[in-house]
Amino acid sequence: MEFEELQQIWDSQNDRPLYVIDQKALHNRIQTKMKRAGNITNFSELLLILVNLSAASFVLAINVFSQSLNIYMYLMVAWMFGTALYLLARRMQRIKGNTRFDRSMLGDLNYAISLATYQVRLSQLMRWNILPIGALSIFGVLSGEKPIWVAGIILIFFVVAYFASNWEHGIYESRKRELKILQDKLKNEISQGPSMS
Amino acid sequence: MTEKEQQQILEEWISQHKALILKIVKVYAFTSMDKEDLFQEILIQVWHSIPSFRHASAVTTWLYRISLNTAIKWTKKEQKHKQSEALENAQYVLQESGLPIDDRLSWLYEEIHKLDEIDRSIALLVLEGCNYKEMAVILGISESNVGVKINRIKKILITKSKNYDDNGI
Repeated sequence: MEFEELQQIWDSQNDRPLYVIDQKALHNRIQTKMKRAGNITNFSELLLILVNLSAASFVLAINVFSQSLNIYMYLMVAWMFGTALYLLARRMQRIKGNTRFDRSMLGDLNYAISLATYQVRLSQLMRWNILPIGALSIFGVLSGEKPIWVAGIILIFFVVAYFASNWEHGIYESRKRELKILQDKLKNEISQGPSMS
Repeated sequence: MTEKEQQQILEEWISQHKALILKIVKVYAFTSMDKEDLFQEILIQVWHSIPSFRHASAVTTWLYRISLNTAIKWTKKEQKHKQSEALENAQYVLQESGLPIDDRLSWLYEEIHKLDEIDRSIALLVLEGCNYKEMAVILGISESNVGVKINRIKKILITKSKNYDDNGI
């Protein structure tokens, strides 16, 4: 067949709809899916900001009310407030930058990659953030003359959190890798010229 | 834009351009459940895109962009999470019209389905009669690159169609 014949075969479906759409079912499904579809980046950002703010406020309140002079705890409060502020600034920067991508296939992929890169950086940052918070918590407990096993439990908790965050980081990295492969395919395959693969 | 206005535009676009979306669904999804899932995913993305539609391009061009982007990403996701969502108990949106299907058309869909995810979108746009400029806008690549791709895909389809003519396969 020549290509024109293939096109005629293709066009033949225009007069014969192969499917009918159940509008009511469609409306229900869209509503259900939309409610369920949460934006992971948005959610993790807000959650991290909230967790840092709440934890910092909690530790600060305890220190103030107990009139504690534990410097490590105050350092931790400052660190967590700083982290929340940094996350808020990055979030505003990200939202502002969302409009610079066009809605072409490549533009959409670039946007998805930029979002994936952002998630990778965010998860990496949060993973490393466990170290100063963990260290300050343990020093704080030890200088507060608490039993050593309390510091041990805190250490185990932070080690587990570090590995869990490492696993989460891996998910974002693999997602970004897949998108990059797709982007390379779209960008480079064409420039290599015709082939019969 | 209110949610009601957005819903009205979606309904209008669906009634006018459902054939366009259904062709993309058929090119990217094979089983009934996959077709359902992809169709719904495309409509959700179209719904989200309505406030950013500025009439700078035709509605069809916009719908091709959104639908093809969604289909390509869905294909990637689908390869990893085949059973990610239980659609067995879901309310079905797409219903077969019951009209007999031309064997040659089914064969053509199968052949397009064998292409990689990006070539599939180009094959579909060529068969839909889009010109180089429109395709470049939809795909975000240069017209010359589109031309190279089209020639390759046309050659593949014509070669396969010769086998179909000769052997009926």
